[in-house]
Formats: sequence, C-alpha cells, structure tokens
Amino acid sequence: MEKQLQEIAKKLIEQKVIDIFIGYEKGSAPLISRPYFIKIKDANAPENLAENLVWNSFCSNNLAVFLPKYFETNPFARKRPPKPKIGIVAKGCDLRSIVALIKEKQAPREHLVLIGVPCQGMIDKRKVEDAIATQTPRNRDAEILDYHEQDGMLNITVKGGQTFTFKKENVLQDACIDCRYPMPEGTDYLIEGKAKEPGDGGYKKIEEFEAKTPQERWEYFMQEMSKCIRCSACRQACPTCWCKECFAEQTDLKWIGVSTDISDTMIFHITRIFHQAGRCVECDACYRACPMGVDLRTFTKKIGKDVESLFDFYPDFDQETIPPISTFRQEDSDSFITEP
Amino acid sequence: MGIITKQELNRLIAATAKNTKFYAPIEGNNGIEYAETVGDQPISYDYVNVKLSPKGLFFPQREVLCRFCGDTIQDIPVPDERFIVFGGRPCDARSLRELEMVFDDQTSKFQDPYYMVRRKNALIITLACNEPATTCFCTTVGGSPTESEGSDIIVSELGDDLLFEACTEKGKKFMETYREFFQQPTDTHFSAKEENAKKAADALSVFAIDGMKERLDGIFEEEVWETITNNCLGCGACTYLCPTCHCFDISDETNGKGEGIRLRTWDSCQYPLFTLHASGHNPRVNKKQRMRQRLMHKFSYTVEKNNAIFCVGCGRCVLNCPVNLDIRDMLQTLYK
Repeated sequence: MEKQLQEIAKKLIEQKVIDIFIGYEKGSAPLISRPYFIKIKDANAPENLAENLVWNSFCSNNLAVFLPKYFETNPFARKRPPKPKIGIVAKGCDLRSIVALIKEKQAPREHLVLIGVPCQGMIDKRKVEDAIATQTPRNRDAEILDYHEQDGMLNITVKGGQTFTFKKENVLQDACIDCRYPMPEGTDYLIEGKAKEPGDGGYKKIEEFEAKTPQERWEYFMQEMSKCIRCSACRQACPTCWCKECFAEQTDLKWIGVSTDISDTMIFHITRIFHQAGRCVECDACYRACPMGVDLRTFTKKIGKDVESLFDFYPDFDQETIPPISTFRQEDSDSFITEP
Repeated sequence: MGIITKQELNRLIAATAKNTKFYAPIEGNNGIEYAETVGDQPISYDYVNVKLSPKGLFFPQREVLCRFCGDTIQDIPVPDERFIVFGGRPCDARSLRELEMVFDDQTSKFQDPYYMVRRKNALIITLACNEPATTCFCTTVGGSPTESEGSDIIVSELGDDLLFEACTEKGKKFMETYREFFQQPTDTHFSAKEENAKKAADALSVFAIDGMKERLDGIFEEEVWETITNNCLGCGACTYLCPTCHCFDISDETNGKGEGIRLRTWDSCQYPLFTLHASGHNPRVNKKQRMRQRLMHKFSYTVEKNNAIFCVGCGRCVLNCPVNLDIRDMLQTLYK
C-alpha cells in the first residue's frame, strides 16, 4: 500500500498536477507517524520526496485540518495568489472531514486530488503504553524503544529490555474500533487493499453514560474539565474547527475568560462541542491531541448520537446532503426546546 | 549531606508540615502531579518528568492581582508562605533559575513580586535523573542529569535510599534543622551515585547547537521556517508544558454588578491574540512567524539578554506535541 501511495504521489508531482502533497512521514519516536508536506515549487527534485511518504498503523492525525488555511481569502490583501491544488492522503475519517469542509466551502473539491486509503485502523500509543506499564515493575521501564509491525501483530521492545507482542485489533484507537466508514468512497485514487470491518458507531458506551444520573454525569464532566489547561490543542487539531476567529478569542466584548477557571473551561468545551453538532466525524483528533488526556470523545460522540437520532443525519461521504446545522425543515425535531 | 530512606522521608515531611507546605509528585486521578502532602501519601518516584512542571507553583496559570468595584481597588497580596518542592528534575530546577532571570531582571527597574516572593519562600529539593528518557536532551542545551543549578538540595535516588546534598545556604540550614532524620552516607552510597550519574549522562543523546544564536540570527527571513512548521497546528501545548515559557497576559473579568478581578494568566506566542494590536493589525499572522518567535526567544533573544538558552531539554514538548513537531528536529534542520 505504501509503495502504491508513493507511486501515485510521485506521478502527481511529475505531471505537475498538484502544488502541494500532504501525507505522512515516519515520526521521531516509535509508534508515531506525522503529517508530511511536499511543496513542489520550493523543493529540489520534489518527486524524490515521495519516497519519504509512509503508510502504517500510526497515521492517525486527521490531515483535513490543514486544508482551510490554503483556501482562505483575505479581503484586505492587495494580491490574490491563485489557490493551490493539493493532493492529500485520506483515510475514511479524513475524507469525511474533507467532505464536511467542501460542503462548508472551506476547501474547493476541484482543488483537491484525493488519494483514498482503505483503513485498517490506527494503533493507540497510549493504550500500548498503558498495557505495557501494567506488566513492567515500573512505568519508567515501559518506555518503548523499538517496534515491528507485521501481519496484524505489533512487537515492542521496551527500555526494561522485555519484549511484548500485541494483536493490533486489541490496541486500536477507540475511534477506529467504532468507525463505520473505514473504506473511503468517491476519491480520485484509491489504494488497493482491505479495510477493517466497519464498527457499530460505539453508541453503546454513550447509552451507558446517558443511563447515569444527572449528578453522576455532571461529576464526570467536571472531573474531565478540571484536567484542561486551555492549550487549545483540541480546537487546533479539529478539522471542523476552522472559524477564522474563535469565540474564545473575542476580546471586544469578551465571551469567556482565558484562564483555567472551571466555568470558563466548561463554557469553552460546551460551546466548541455543540458547534460540532452534525459536523464532527468522530475521528477523535481532539481527544488524541489533548496533552492532559481529557475524555472529549464521550461528549463529542454524545452530540453525534443526538444529531443522528433527532435529525437522521450522520456525516458520511455524501457531498450532496446538507448538515442539519446549515438548514431548516418544518418537521425538524424541537423536542429539546423546553419551557423554562 | 545525609541519607534518608523513602519511608523515612514521609516522616520528615510530616515533621516539616508544621512550618511549611510540602509539594511532591503524587499519583492521582490525572497521573503524577505535584500535590501538597503532609507525609501521609506515597510519593511517586516512577517518572522521568512530571508532565506539568513545577513552574505553576511559582508562576500559576491563573493569578488574581487585584479586585475592583467602581473606584475601589483592593490589591491581592502574594501568599507569603514557605513551601518545599520535592522531586523536580535538574532540568526543572534549571528552568526555575532561568525564570528568575526574567522575573528578577537585574538590568530592569522592576522585579516581579509574585514570582520572587514565592521563589524566596521556596526550598527546592531536586531529584537527580538516573534514567533519562529518549526524548531528553539536557546535555545538549548545557544542562546535566545531575547538576545542582537552581536547586537548594540535590537528591540522588539510590534504590530505597535517598542521598541528600545541600547546595545552597538555605539547603544547608534545612539539613541542619532536620539532621535527626539523616544518616551518615557511606562510600558505597557515593560510588553508587557516581555510577548512576555516568550511566545517565551516557544515556543522553547529544546534537550540536554551538553558535545556534548566530545561525538563527542569520536566517530570520529564510524559507526554512515555513518548511519546518508545515505541520504545526498552532496550539499552545508546547508552550504551556514548557518549564521555561513564561509569557503572560493581564486581563480583567467583570460581572454584571460591576465587580471585577484583574488576572494574570499564561499566554502563548502560538496564539493569534498574542500579538494582535488594538488597530486590528497582527504582526505575526501565521504559524511560521509564531514558531520562529518561540525558537528565537529560546535560542537567541535570551542568549543575548540573559546569556542562557531558555530550553532545558526536558522533552515535554517533544512528548506531547499532537503532530510530533520535534524541537530537536527543528533545531537540527535550522543548524544545517
């Protein structure tokens, strides 16, 4: 798959079809791949850079997040440079985010060359580390030094010297276990390969959460919010958080405070997550980006579930449907509007 | 100097509790964090670096400077209380020393009372690093896993024994006050300490950054800044977890009754509001300019002003960047 991906990228670069290619490269630590950019105009022999592209079980970043910036128009700019044409690697979740951006006019389809990759699911480094830490005498011994992945098995060597073997399916990201759309549809290129079996959406866990008492839910929400350091990693990692100016950064007048006061933190997350209603593709980019391990996925998923049940909408690959937040129908559910 | 066992340390903490607060790394709901203890909780030694550095104990993320209502203003004094911070690594201690250069700038007319009152009241007991992580690079930026810079007492972890060595007058006084808790160290302790120190130093990877300031000053306008920041998301995780990042903002928060507080909060050069002018103009509009500021500040401006690199090589930003934008990679690319 990796080879085919590199070949497609190389061809696109050589034929001068694109200006920028966005994929993944090997990261600086084990079990990490990171976003990789090839800017054709600036590079020396850019076609050779395609060899740096990787495709493995660690390509979890949602690349769609990088797109809106390239298509922004500054109304005050004297010069309007032509919009670039971007080749981008897309897993199921990246592609659904890209579709959302296309619908919201943040990325014109004709400027994108989409390279779909059947997704086998991405490995959750934190899950692997936690699993190892339970089996080493000290957490410190669990630092991963080396790894090898083959045929759905992950072999790991840690600092303490021990080796561990995991079945990939046991250490997948929760988002990938739940994912209903691992096979991209409607892309310009599709890498050959098998995607994982689609998941069931993972709403069972949300139903369990819903079944708790309001007090228990509130306590859990407070507990998670109190971990937040307001670094904005969740917002910045989210492809659908593309507002040019975030409500949290309005100073005249100010909507919320900038500190870690719990009420400000709560309002920040409540507003951000509600704003994702019907737009969030449940890729968990926010959850992975959070350095403090705040469980944002329970809350984003709850909103997704509500939108699906109330408005019969789920953000899939269809570019024609209109997200509920952008439209109004007479028969729209209003059961959530209550008397004060 | 003296030897104390890990169990005995809790007894020592209980004894200090009458006079001073004691902060130590303790495993809680959010992992290991600096928490106040009176000696009744097990202290965690099982970390390379505590994720949130002790910076926040001296320079809190949220600090109320004064309250106001109409024309009345009420100053909020800095809590003038003694405290001990145990378990920071030598890189953390170095970072506190560097923050002092900023908040107690001798070339300036102004000293920061909030930081300095806390700094004066604090006793810093540092835990030397026996096993650095692969993300650590303190020796590259002039530190060492066993250095005492910024610490009052440096502690070597020797199995169940802790070897305390005072490195300032304040530290000596503490050791003297609580001498009954300490045993005389033996030659075995010292040789074990030496062995650990050598192992730790050998485990650290080093890359060249000498002359980095001159190099950076010469490439301010170059394309490379854009290349290295392509995948930056523009969040502030690196700056908020950084033990030396110290930029802050001052803002007012008011309620409907006209009562308000003036707050000092952490700020980050990665944020759009950081340099936004009242006119609406923003001199740093993109991530290339913002990341350039972050690296220039650490490796050029502070070298010029304070003769110190404001990066201690703790690796927190490396570990926690959502896109694995590794400062070591950036520095090496810029150095080429």
